[in-house]
Amino acid sequence: MNTIDLTLKIWRQKDNDSLGNFETYTLRDITTDMSFLEMLDVLNENLTKEGKEPVAFDHDCREGICGMCGAVVDGVAHGPDKEVTLCQLHMRTFNTGDTLVIEPFRSRAFPIRKDLVVDRSAFDRVIQAGGYVSINTGGTIDGNAIPISSETAELSMDAAACIGCGACVASCPNGAAMLFTSAKISQLALLPQGQPERKKRAQAMVQQMDAEGFGHCTNEKECEMVCPKGISIRNIARLNREYMKGILMGE
Amino acid sequence: MWFVSFVKSSIGKKIIMATTGLLLILFLAVHAFGNAAIYMGSKYFQIYADTLHGFPVLVLIFGLGLLVLFIAHISVGTLLFLESRSTRYSRYEVNKRVVENTFASRTMPFTGLFILVFTIIHVFGFNIAAPAGVPISVTVKEYLSGFFYSLFYIVSFVALAIHLNHGFWSMLQTFGVNHPRYNCLIAKLTIIVPVFFLVLFGGIPIYFMTGAGSAY
Repeated sequence: MNTIDLTLKIWRQKDNDSLGNFETYTLRDITTDMSFLEMLDVLNENLTKEGKEPVAFDHDCREGICGMCGAVVDGVAHGPDKEVTLCQLHMRTFNTGDTLVIEPFRSRAFPIRKDLVVDRSAFDRVIQAGGYVSINTGGTIDGNAIPISSETAELSMDAAACIGCGACVASCPNGAAMLFTSAKISQLALLPQGQPERKKRAQAMVQQMDAEGFGHCTNEKECEMVCPKGISIRNIARLNREYMKGILMGE
Repeated sequence: MWFVSFVKSSIGKKIIMATTGLLLILFLAVHAFGNAAIYMGSKYFQIYADTLHGFPVLVLIFGLGLLVLFIAHISVGTLLFLESRSTRYSRYEVNKRVVENTFASRTMPFTGLFILVFTIIHVFGFNIAAPAGVPISVTVKEYLSGFFYSLFYIVSFVALAIHLNHGFWSMLQTFGVNHPRYNCLIAKLTIIVPVFFLVLFGGIPIYFMTGAGSAY
């Protein structure tokens, strides 16, 4: 079993109002089969034994589908591995003697709650602004009653793969939430069920996105590169079209 | 008011940048067409210049339109630059970009500023403060035969090419043009378009600097 020794520089911050700073920790004999979060678990166990405050970090399913975990490792959201969340990043990616700088996802719209935990409820409010379909009456429609081509269904599913982790915002030089918002708009805009509210949706969600303090898109493609679900910026192009249609030709 | 919320929104500002950018590229194309006459000799360039300025009202109207485009592109661009400045630098202890080749996109505000400085000097040199009574073809030949004047022009055109390299692609993305069927072509155009302008415009100072254009 391979083991590695690591030095960790982790951002410690008591709460949103406190000033934070980096603390350095050393870890010995970390099994390379461990996930990144398991490595942090080992650190926290050590800290608890020493009577120190463990490092707070978000996590839930630990299988890369819930969107709860995330931190910036050595300047890259979710770490150096492609298309994985932090919990699916494994320690075999690193070498013994490495120093890892671990920072929370930073954005004006994501206040830091504690250490690596950030409040991403701004995303929820963007969804509340229009990321839904209203079905006000009638019984449940049969699954195959509305024909959709498989290509369209696939594109919609690709967009729906977004787990809302916030890596796009964290990695964007402008702190924009365009990839997230575009995925949430695309999954509905592509399907027949999303049509009635289509023109209003893009406007409402973009307005909320701006109000939350997210930045604007300068087409740097950074979000696409770090997205653990491989959401394409083609969705951002679709969002731009949706927004134009909505604001220029909406009722 | 739809227009107010359009201008206030982040995407609205980007669409203004893209639209004015597209129109400025169209202006560049027309400008490059006229300037290309110089490669056939100063006589032909003078004919083009005289013909163009034979329509003073049209030149005035289109000139003012161009000024409006410029001001819109620069002011909205500056606004976006200032908005993003707070988040753009030193957010993280380790700053790293996963995307390779970000030079053009990172330097957009600076190449833009350089083009603005160039435009002011260019308009003053060849239009507002051009020597009176001298044909424009002679002024061009005199100015661009100077080494430093020419060098400044070439550097400006390089800045323009870098600006267009990201700007052209960014414009299409903002307009929502992103489809696997065309992305390969678009990727080629992000090189072809800037190089086209760089060769056509940058060739003129080289043409005079090297003395190739002095005989005509």
